[in-house]
Amino acid sequence: MKIEVQDLIHTYPSGETALNGISLVIEGTTPVAVAGQNGSGKTTLVKHFNRILSPTKGRVLIDGVSTTERSTAQWAKKIGYVFQNPDDQLFLNSVRKEFEFGPKRTGIPPEKIEKMLPIVADLCGLGDKLEIHPFDLTATEKKFCTIGSVMMIDPNVVIFDEPTCGQDIEGNNRLISIIRYLRNNGKLCITISHDMKFIAKNFERVVVLCKGQVLTDGFCKDVFAKPTILSQSFVSPPPICRVALGMGLKQSVFETEELVGCIVQNMKRRNKK
Amino acid sequence: MSEKSKQAAKSKSKKTSSYVPIDSPIDRLHPMIKIYAIFCLGIGCAVFPFLWLAYSVVVFLFFVAWKAKMLTKFAGFITAFAIPITVMLLFIQGLYSPKNVTILADFGFAKLGLEGVLYTFKTVGTLLVFLGSFYLMTTTTYPGKLVTAMQDAGLNPKAGYLVLASLNVVPQIQRRIAVIQEAQTARGVEVTGKLKTRFTAFLPIIGPTVMSSLIDVQERGMTLEIRGFGAKGVKPSSLTELNVSPAEKAIKRVLVTFLILCIAFAFSWAIFTRVR
Repeated sequence: MKIEVQDLIHTYPSGETALNGISLVIEGTTPVAVAGQNGSGKTTLVKHFNRILSPTKGRVLIDGVSTTERSTAQWAKKIGYVFQNPDDQLFLNSVRKEFEFGPKRTGIPPEKIEKMLPIVADLCGLGDKLEIHPFDLTATEKKFCTIGSVMMIDPNVVIFDEPTCGQDIEGNNRLISIIRYLRNNGKLCITISHDMKFIAKNFERVVVLCKGQVLTDGFCKDVFAKPTILSQSFVSPPPICRVALGMGLKQSVFETEELVGCIVQNMKRRNKK
Repeated sequence: MSEKSKQAAKSKSKKTSSYVPIDSPIDRLHPMIKIYAIFCLGIGCAVFPFLWLAYSVVVFLFFVAWKAKMLTKFAGFITAFAIPITVMLLFIQGLYSPKNVTILADFGFAKLGLEGVLYTFKTVGTLLVFLGSFYLMTTTTYPGKLVTAMQDAGLNPKAGYLVLASLNVVPQIQRRIAVIQEAQTARGVEVTGKLKTRFTAFLPIIGPTVMSSLIDVQERGMTLEIRGFGAKGVKPSSLTELNVSPAEKAIKRVLVTFLILCIAFAFSWAIFTRVR
């Protein structure tokens, strides 16, 4: 799956230009994170991937096909989008029906739905709650119910808008296992997040937006090594990374063990001198 | 305020209520005067026995809309309402009113009566005065100012909030529906195209709208309480201060006089026709 964004400009009817000439290519199955301050254009950008929004100027191509050639509902088969607020999406009277709704609408055969349902339900931690009304679920479970209902469509790309918002450690771990599952099954995962620790640990590539433009784009290790550039979009590297940079280490560090290893090495070098 | 932030503020306020911030003498007018205008003009035209008064007031409302710099929008609103309602009432009252005595035309299956036609135009005229003036009031009055004015006139703050909430509810639900529509199309629900397609999209959109609106009401209730909305024995203060100018007092007197004259004329006319 290849997503090509070419000189994308988006102006809202109010006259506000949210995206101002964005060009980037996302392909393969490497999970991509999109970061940036509020109002930088993150959601506006990803809403172009399944034509919830259409470009004012420029193009978005999915495997060479312009997004404007199909409707959002048609793109749903290829591009899944999990909205921030589960209450905007859930309306059926059981988790099972919510899970079955999307694949039925997009024409997935019943046998495939039956096969996928237990896998997705277990991944989302809702295996024993399939008959429960979605409004009786906790806020975290509701979020996973919407994630599951999108995963059931089996799209090639899954977009998450702020999935870590309001999640506890258990929720975050579940999310990590979902992102891994998607990658292992040849799916591309694009995630908007403000949680830099979450990004650093789970994404190889990060795109940072600032005022509707790409501020920096690359491997997490390289991007988080440039705190001065990141500060333009009020993004700061994860705390452990800041400690390592403060110590004068040249590379970014995201794990405690990695930092300890670097400190030990430095001490050994000093002792030798 | 820069041009850009003005525009942003404008688009934001557009989203939260039907108020359109355009500086004009009508926008600056004290909200209570506009409310007086709705009732005095509306009731006056409703009781007045002849239909020319209502249509003269509608013409006057067009002048007010021009002064408020929203003539096109107002004309669109009036036309969109007047044409279908007139056709519908002409069909019901014109053809089937029991008061019909003078026959204007015979269609075979029904007869068009003068009394029904007059009744139709009288009703449409009165409705246009009420709706037109109410439309002008909501589009030219900042909701906060309106509620302050009503509270100054002795309205309970709780009732004031109710007024504010009902003015805001339609734009808020419209905004919510737009988000829900996006969320459902992303799940494969087609919302445009054939009538059947649109019909099947109804439940996935209306379901979350109703449920999330109920949740919203519950949360709003709680947040209002924690901010001291229900506090007893406290006189609430307001950021908006309103004063009635001598010109506005004069307008109020003219409006009340208009209503009294209409009622007096209606009474005398009723007595006169009965005596005759």
